[in-house]
Amino acid sequence: MQPAAVYTRDRCVTGIHGLDEILRGGIPYGSTVLASGTCGSGKTTLAMEFLVRGALAGEACAHFTATEPSVKLLENIRQFEFFDMNMVDTGLINVFDMDVLYSWLGLEKSSFDLDDVHALIKAIVDIVNTIGVTRLVIDSVTTLCYKIKSEQLIRDFLFTLGKKLSTLGCTTILISEITSATENAHWSSFGVEEAIADGIVVMGDVERMGHLLRFLQVVKMRGTSHSRAKHAIELTPIGVMLTPMLKWGAQGDKQSKWGA
Amino acid sequence: MTMFELDQRIAEQLTEVALNSSVQVRCGNSNAFMVTASTMVPLMQMFEMGGVYISGSRSAMEMIEAFETIGIDVSNIQFIDLVSSGVLGGTTTTRKNIHYVDSPIMLESILLRTLYLLRTTTLERNFVILDSVNALAIYNDDRMLAEYLHTFINTFRQREVLSVILNVPDQTPPLVLSNLDLYCTDLIDRGQVVIH
Repeated sequence: MQPAAVYTRDRCVTGIHGLDEILRGGIPYGSTVLASGTCGSGKTTLAMEFLVRGALAGEACAHFTATEPSVKLLENIRQFEFFDMNMVDTGLINVFDMDVLYSWLGLEKSSFDLDDVHALIKAIVDIVNTIGVTRLVIDSVTTLCYKIKSEQLIRDFLFTLGKKLSTLGCTTILISEITSATENAHWSSFGVEEAIADGIVVMGDVERMGHLLRFLQVVKMRGTSHSRAKHAIELTPIGVMLTPMLKWGAQGDKQSKWGA
Repeated sequence: MTMFELDQRIAEQLTEVALNSSVQVRCGNSNAFMVTASTMVPLMQMFEMGGVYISGSRSAMEMIEAFETIGIDVSNIQFIDLVSSGVLGGTTTTRKNIHYVDSPIMLESILLRTLYLLRTTTLERNFVILDSVNALAIYNDDRMLAEYLHTFINTFRQREVLSVILNVPDQTPPLVLSNLDLYCTDLIDRGQVVIH
């Protein structure tokens, strides 16, 4: 008797050196992945490389930025040797300022209600649909969710957005800002994002004798087996590079400056 | 080249090694630079290799100047300096082939920086010289260093990059030394036994 063929989902190959290996081929297509991390851990750089690698493969990509102006963001990704401004000029990489989007939608207010949330979802989905975006980044979902006062509404927003984007075949990275990446920490600011996301990639720092070493760990990824080990990362002009963190070297984790 | 005399037996021994080899080079305190130069020169000149020099014992600038003094052109070698960031003002240089890592404690960063530099090289045959295990042992726990050397050696062996590990045996923790003996495929022994 032949063993049953193992079903594997099609992957969105991130192109990030080492990450696809950790994910056994890439992120399952249409997934919503939460990239959670402390400040300076490399979340935006990782997400931008995800988009630029997609653009290199001819995919249309979109980045919604709420944490820094799009001009500044584009300046920062020029550090990548494989980035070409033509990607922006030809519409492969599309950067949207959330402030501008709020303004278009008449959402220049401190908190969003149900109608506002639906209007925002519709606007994002329309952009994705119109451009044919297959890779999307929202940086950061934390900043966006601060405007949504109810936990239930945050849940609805993320669930509905994720479902609609998945239907369109769009693989999404939601960047989440957290203050601690240690083992006792939540992987998201509001606690609901981590339950709804298909995948969680945690980024932070391990303190080793006064030096901070960046790490990345895939905590969860539905639809694929994956490594759950902590990996050290380095941000280089050829992209994010990863290597498994030394087992004896991860012990400093508990003394992390971000709290135990 | 000046009157500096290289150890030709090292060159002869190096003709036996393959690209995916890992060579432990044992030296003493007094002959460390001669042994290092005697290892590098044949790799560069006979085998037309380039690569990465991880400078943990002395600053990269000091090493480059020492090599240049004896007539070795190292402009094609990328140096990773683990020393100078510990000294304020130590990282001001115009040399494009010097790269700094904050501390010898950042072992994974050293590995990733080396891999990055190797990915940017156009040479077909490359080496990585780790100078030295003793320098890393000052800062790192024995178990972590043993684990690191295991990872380091296997990483480059898999990529067909020759790894050369410099080591002063009588200053190396026993656990690290025994692991090094186990992992390395070749040994060039110019160590000097010191009886205390």
